[in-house]
Amino acid sequence: MNRTLVVARRVLTQIAHDRRFLGLSVMAPLLIIYFLKIFFDTMPAGFNVARYIMPVAAFLVHFLAFLLCAIVLVQERTAGTLERMFINGFQRVEIIGGYVLGYTGLATLQAVVALIEVVLLFGLDYSWPTLAALFGVIWLLAIASVMLGIFISTFARHEGQVFPFIPLIILPSVFLSGLLVSPELLPDWAAALGHAFPLYYANNVIQEVIKPSSDLGAVWPNFLILAAYGVALLALASRTLREVE
Amino acid sequence: MNAITVRGLTKTYGRVEALRGVELDVPEGSIFGLLGPNGAGKSTLIKALVGALRPSAGSVAVLGHDPLAQKAALRPLIGYMPQGSALYADLSARENLRFFGSAHRVPDLAARIDAALGFTELTARADDPVYGFSGGMKKRVSLACALLHEPRILLLDEPTAAVDPHLKVRSWAMFRELAARGVTLFVSTHLMDEALLCDRLAVLQRGRIIAVDTPAALLQRGRTRLRVAREGVEQTSQIGSAPRDLAAALHAFGLPAEVESIGLEADSLETVVLGMINEEAL
Repeated sequence: MNRTLVVARRVLTQIAHDRRFLGLSVMAPLLIIYFLKIFFDTMPAGFNVARYIMPVAAFLVHFLAFLLCAIVLVQERTAGTLERMFINGFQRVEIIGGYVLGYTGLATLQAVVALIEVVLLFGLDYSWPTLAALFGVIWLLAIASVMLGIFISTFARHEGQVFPFIPLIILPSVFLSGLLVSPELLPDWAAALGHAFPLYYANNVIQEVIKPSSDLGAVWPNFLILAAYGVALLALASRTLREVE
Repeated sequence: MNAITVRGLTKTYGRVEALRGVELDVPEGSIFGLLGPNGAGKSTLIKALVGALRPSAGSVAVLGHDPLAQKAALRPLIGYMPQGSALYADLSARENLRFFGSAHRVPDLAARIDAALGFTELTARADDPVYGFSGGMKKRVSLACALLHEPRILLLDEPTAAVDPHLKVRSWAMFRELAARGVTLFVSTHLMDEALLCDRLAVLQRGRIIAVDTPAALLQRGRTRLRVAREGVEQTSQIGSAPRDLAAALHAFGLPAEVESIGLEADSLETVVLGMINEEAL
């Protein structure tokens, strides 16, 4: 079997064996979305919940996919299994490729479950093409998040060193990517900085497709940018994952 | 022929010199021990041998290959057992073996896994998750992972540290069996009794090799205190540690001159205790 698939199979077997990890990975966004429902129910009538809830669901998937992948890959280093993989002959590209495939499986599950809950819980009435576009963009964001996690993990020597990247990379995206306020309302430099986050492009697509008369054609470059973001991070991670001390 | 040749190997981390001009020749088919206290540089040296570390200076050749420049050619020939277990705790012993074995693309992997599990006496627990294993069992799984592809050199980093005496004896019986098959074993340890079981020993201290010899020859560099009690009077003298030194010292106490050497081989405390445990189990 191709060694990338060997790594992916091992990652998926591990996730399947660790039911607590799997349960929390899927249940945590569901629970937070439920809390958001309680929160948004306090808003005055006419408040546009859809404008916020779908990007927030995308953010949750983005955050968890990034965090779980980064921490698990750092654990590989601290446990010595990463070194053992290299000495056993696995190549960098095979290890990263296997991780992307394995965690994309988990990210897909998170994206599907979060999307279904949001639609059902908030009673959103979207057409199938809209739902397909929403799933596509959240899924692409999740893959980019997995790659971001892999890339960031190369700078951390232990699990604790992953956490400083959360206020550095993840939290600013909440405020600068259009999740809470339109980037046009931000100072120019902050709006420009928002373009650095993958969530910005995901939010662009979401805000467009949830409009009653949406035009997917107007935002399709955002899909490409998200995909390019993932590929660029994959290339960077392939260069920064240390094989030799 | 040498399985491992190290020349002038130096590794520095900032201002810390982990290895300082290490020179080493390890004959093929032998059990070579690397003895040194914690922090002496044993793991650093092994990492350089397996290509997990880039030396600051000097050269390393393992079976004639540079571990970094010719890693693709070398890695199928070496088996590495790191100091930690380096296993996936959520996976079973068999799943760990299948994963690491798949990397080498060994033919008939399932049969090799069964053989490695049998050799390390893990067959009964093969399908249990590793997180439930004792430290010693994890070491055995780790050893099995290193053996799967039938390497020509095994590099074992403190393989029996924190392992109970019974398992230690069994592990060394395994190492001897592998050496008898022609496998070269490079074993790091800080345990003196274990070092005695090697064919040759290098003593590493603060990143420098300070002695390389057989365990017997190294022992002879020490001194032996001889205490003789006669008619209520005890005399103490210091003699060399070679068997001929003891005979020479005893000549003064009436040992016939034709006795040239006397060697004493006492059981270690470990052997005595293990004997007691085995007797109790019967």
